[in-house]
Amino acid sequence: MIKKGNWVVMVLLILGLSTIAFPLYMTIVIAFKQPAEMTNSIGGILSLPKSWSFANFKEAMEVTDFWRSLGNSMLITVVTVILSILLHSLMGYAVGRNKAKSKFYSFVYLFIVSGMFVPFAILMMPLAKQTAELGLANWFGVIVLYVVFYMPMNIMLYSGYLVNIPVALEEAARVDGASTWRTYWKIIFPMMKPMHATVAIITALAVWNDVMTPLVIMAGSGKNTLPLAQLNFQSQFGTNYNLAFASYLLSLIPILIFYVICQKQILNGVASGAVK
Amino acid sequence: MKNERKRTFLLITVPILALFVCFNTIPLIRGVIYSFTNFKGFGTYDWVGLRNYMDLFTDGRVGKSYWFTFKLAIVTTIVVNVISLLLALGLNSKIRAKSFFRGAYFLPNILGSLVVGYIFNYFFTYILPAVADMIGIEALRSSILSNPSAAWIGVMIVCSWQAIAMNTIIYISGLQTVPEDVYEAGSLDGATGWKQFRHLTFPLIIPFFSINMVLCVKNFLMVFDQIMALTKGGPAQSTESISYLIYNNGMSGGQFGFQSANAVMFFLLIVIVSVAQMKFSSSKEEQL
Amino acid sequence: MRGKGMKCLGLVLYCSVTSLAVSGCGGSKENGKVTEIEIVQYKPEAANYFKMVEEQFNAAHDDIHLTISSPNDAMTILKTQFIREDYPDIIGIGGDINYSYFVDAEILADVSDYQGLQNIKQAYRDIDESLELVPTEGTFALPYVANAAGILYNREMFEEHNWEIPKSWEELKTLCKNIKSEGILPFSFGFKDTWTCLAPWNAMAVDLSPADTPKQVNRGETTFSKEYAEVSEKYLELLEFGPDDPFAYSYNDACTSFARGESAMYPIGSYAAPQILSVNPDLKLDSFVMPANDSADGNTLNSGIDLQFCVTAECKNKEEAYEVLDFLYADENIQQYIDAQNAIPCKEGDFKLPSILDGMQEYISSGNMTDYPDHYYPSEMAVDAQIQTFLLKKDVDAFLKRFDTDWLRYNRDIIRQVEEYEKEHGNKSE
Repeated sequence: MIKKGNWVVMVLLILGLSTIAFPLYMTIVIAFKQPAEMTNSIGGILSLPKSWSFANFKEAMEVTDFWRSLGNSMLITVVTVILSILLHSLMGYAVGRNKAKSKFYSFVYLFIVSGMFVPFAILMMPLAKQTAELGLANWFGVIVLYVVFYMPMNIMLYSGYLVNIPVALEEAARVDGASTWRTYWKIIFPMMKPMHATVAIITALAVWNDVMTPLVIMAGSGKNTLPLAQLNFQSQFGTNYNLAFASYLLSLIPILIFYVICQKQILNGVASGAVK
Repeated sequence: MKNERKRTFLLITVPILALFVCFNTIPLIRGVIYSFTNFKGFGTYDWVGLRNYMDLFTDGRVGKSYWFTFKLAIVTTIVVNVISLLLALGLNSKIRAKSFFRGAYFLPNILGSLVVGYIFNYFFTYILPAVADMIGIEALRSSILSNPSAAWIGVMIVCSWQAIAMNTIIYISGLQTVPEDVYEAGSLDGATGWKQFRHLTFPLIIPFFSINMVLCVKNFLMVFDQIMALTKGGPAQSTESISYLIYNNGMSGGQFGFQSANAVMFFLLIVIVSVAQMKFSSSKEEQL
Repeated sequence: MRGKGMKCLGLVLYCSVTSLAVSGCGGSKENGKVTEIEIVQYKPEAANYFKMVEEQFNAAHDDIHLTISSPNDAMTILKTQFIREDYPDIIGIGGDINYSYFVDAEILADVSDYQGLQNIKQAYRDIDESLELVPTEGTFALPYVANAAGILYNREMFEEHNWEIPKSWEELKTLCKNIKSEGILPFSFGFKDTWTCLAPWNAMAVDLSPADTPKQVNRGETTFSKEYAEVSEKYLELLEFGPDDPFAYSYNDACTSFARGESAMYPIGSYAAPQILSVNPDLKLDSFVMPANDSADGNTLNSGIDLQFCVTAECKNKEEAYEVLDFLYADENIQQYIDAQNAIPCKEGDFKLPSILDGMQEYISSGNMTDYPDHYYPSEMAVDAQIQTFLLKKDVDAFLKRFDTDWLRYNRDIIRQVEEYEKEHGNKSE
C-alpha cells in the first residue's frame, strides 16, 4: 500500500517537473539559435536549432567580459555570504536570546526586522550620495550594503531558529567556566548549521542576481558584475535574446553548484541535530 | 557571570546596530526629508510641506497599485504555500532520484528575470491561446496578459512558479526535523494521511510555516522584478505594483519627492500590519 | 532612553567614519599636463562606435585623454552621479523632457560660444530652444543625430502588389483595405510594450495638432480635449487594420512578425530597423511619412533629436571639451554613426542618408519636420500607458478628460514656473 502511494507521488512529481523542463528546454534551444531563426510560430520556437554551435556562448562571454565579471560577482557574493553568516547569526543570537525579556532587545529586533519593508528606491539616492562621501562607491561598499539589506531577513531567520536550541546547553558550558563568546562559537554556532545553509542560499541568490545595487553604487568604478554586464543584451529598441539566454545559462551554473552543496548541508545538519 | 553575558550581548549588538543605522536608518531619514519636497532626483527643490502626502490619497494610480499589490500578495502567498508544502511532502517521501528532483525543482529560482519574462510572455501570448483554441476554451483564446482584468493572474502564476522553489526547501528542512518515531507512534494510533499531517506533522513544522509566510509576504508586497519582466505595469496600468510605481516614477521619472512619500506611507502601513499581526499571533500562542 | 543613546552612538560613529573617509580622499593626483575628459552617453547600442571614437581621439591627442562610457540605464547612472556631485565633462542625452529638467536644474553649461554651433541645422537648434521649460538665455546642447518615425513598409511586398505610397488619410485607409482584401495584415502592432503606443500617436499628432500644444496648455490657452480629439479618433481607425489582439504582442513580437512578412507595414521609428533586420537581413525595408492629415500638404515628418551632447556646468576644461566636440562632429565620424545606427544627421552638410529613410528624404531635405510631442510629456504621467488604456477601452472622451486633469497635476510645478515667467516677462514689457 505504501508502495502504491509512492508511485502516485512519483507520477505527480514528474508531471510537475514538466513545468520546469519546458522553460528550461526553451532557454537552451534559444541560446543555441541565431537571431534569424527566431519566429513567432510555435513550431518555429520549439524546433531545435539548425546547428549546435557554441558561437553564441563564445560571443556572450566576450560581450560580458565573462571571466572578469564572474570574478567580481563571485567575490561580492562569497564575501557577503560569509559576513552575513558570521554577523547575522551573532546578532540573531544576541537579539534572539534577549528579546523575550528585555525591552531594549525586542525594540532592536523590531527596528531591524522592519527594515525589510523599506523600498530600495527611497534609499537609493541617499545611499548613492552617502557611499560616495564615505569613499565606498566600489565593490566593498556594495558588500557593506548587502550585509545591511539582508540583515532583517537573516536575523529573523536566526533568532527564529534559536528557539529550537535549548538555553540549558549554554548554561552547562557556563558552569564549566566558558565565556559567553566562547560558548557561542563552540556550541551554538555549529548547531545552527542548517540555518547557515538556508541563509547562505537565500543571500547568495539575492546577491548573485541583483542589478540595482551595483548599478547605483558601482557605476563609473569600471567594474562590472555579471548581471550588470548582461544588461548589455537589452536596450529599448532591441534585445538579442539568443546571446542573453546563452549568457544566463552560463551564469546559472555556479549558483546551481552552490545550491547543491548547501542543500546537502541543510539535510545533514538537520539529521545530526535530530540525533542529539 | 551574569554581567559578563550581558556585556557580551551588548558588545555584539552595538556595532552591528550602528552599521544598520548608518546604511539603513540614516538614508531612510534622508528619504523621509525628501518626501516633503518636490525634489526630482537632481537639481534644486522646494519645500512643499504635506502636499505629497495629501496627493497620495487623491492619486488614482497609487490607490490602484495598493489594491493590486495586496491582492497579488495574498493570493500568491496562499498558492505558493499550499503547493510547496505538497511538493515538500512529496520530495520528502521515499522515492527514487530524490536529489535529482530536489535540484530540478530549485531551477526556477535561479533563472534570470529576462529569461523568465521572455519565456512566460511567449507562453501566455502564443502557446496558451493555441492550446485553448485546440480544446475550445473560449476565455483563454487571447493572451491573459493583454486583458486588464486577468493580467494579474499571469503575474501571480510567474511569481508562484519562481517562489515555490525556496519555500519548498524551507519546508523540506522543516520536515527533516520531524523524527521518524513520531510517525510510528502516530500510525499505531491509526493516524494516517490527512489526519497524520494535520495533527502530527503540521504542528511540528509551524516555525517553518511562519518563516515561509514572512518570506512570501515580504517578496510579494515588494514585487518588482516579475512586473518589469512580464508586463511593465500594463495592460492599461492594471499591474502596477507599489515598488514598480516608486521606482519607475521616482527614479526614472521626476517624482522623487512624491514617491518618497509613497514609500514612507507603504513602510508605515506594513509596520502597523506586522505589529498587529505579531500581537495577534502572540496572544494566540498564549492561548495554546 | 537606551534606544536613543544607541542612535546617538551610531550617529557619532557614522560621523567619525565620514570625516575619516573625506580626509583620506584629500590628495588627488596631479601628474603631467594630460587633461581628462569624460563623456557619458545614453545609447548603449552605439557603444562600439564610441569606443572607436575614443581610440582614434586618444591616438591623435597626447594632451587630452578621452573616456567615453556607454552604460546601460544611463539615465539612472547620470542621476545618481549628479546626486554625488560627480559630473562628467560632457553628457550625451536625447532631446526629451530630461533635457528640459537638466537645463532647468542648471546642470548644463552655455555653449553658445562654441564655433561648431553654426553648422548645426537651425531646425534642430529650434527644437532644443523650445524644449526649455521657460525661455532660458543661452544654448545648452549640440544636436548630433535625429531619428524619425512614421511607417516602415516592406518594399518588395508593395512592388509585388503595385501598392502606392499614401499621401493622405483617405489614401492610407484605402491602401489598408486593399492590403486586407488580399489576405495580408496591414499593420503589426506591439502594444504590450506600452511605449510603442506612442509611435503612431506622435506621428499622427504632428500632422493634426499644433507642435506646441503642451506649451499652449501650460499657458492655459487651450486643452488637450480640443487639440487631440482628431488624433484619438483616427488612432482608433488605425487600430482596425492591426492584429486582433495587439495588446498581446510585444515590440519584439511586432518586429519579428513584420520582418517575416506577416504584415505589410509597421508604424514605428527608424530606430526599429536594426531589430527588424536582425530577424530578416534580406528584407527590403523602406519608410514613409505618416499621412494622418486629410490633405497631403498638412503632413509633416515626425523627427526629433535622438542624441545631443551637452557640456556640464561643472566641467573645468571647457576648451579641451570643445576640442573633443570638434572631433565628434567631424563629418566622417557623423557619417559613420549614421551608417551604423540608421540615423539622420543634425549637422549641415552632404551626408549620405540610410536607405531605409528614402521615403522620408523629401521632408528631411526641405526641413518639414516636427519634434515628438511626447518629448514634452513628463514620463511619470505615463502617457504611453494612458494611450494603451484608451486603445483598450476605446473611449475618446474619458481618455482626453483624464489627459487634461492628469496634465495639470503632473505639471503643477512647471505651470507655476511658466506663470511666474509670464508675469515677470509681462512686467518687463510694460
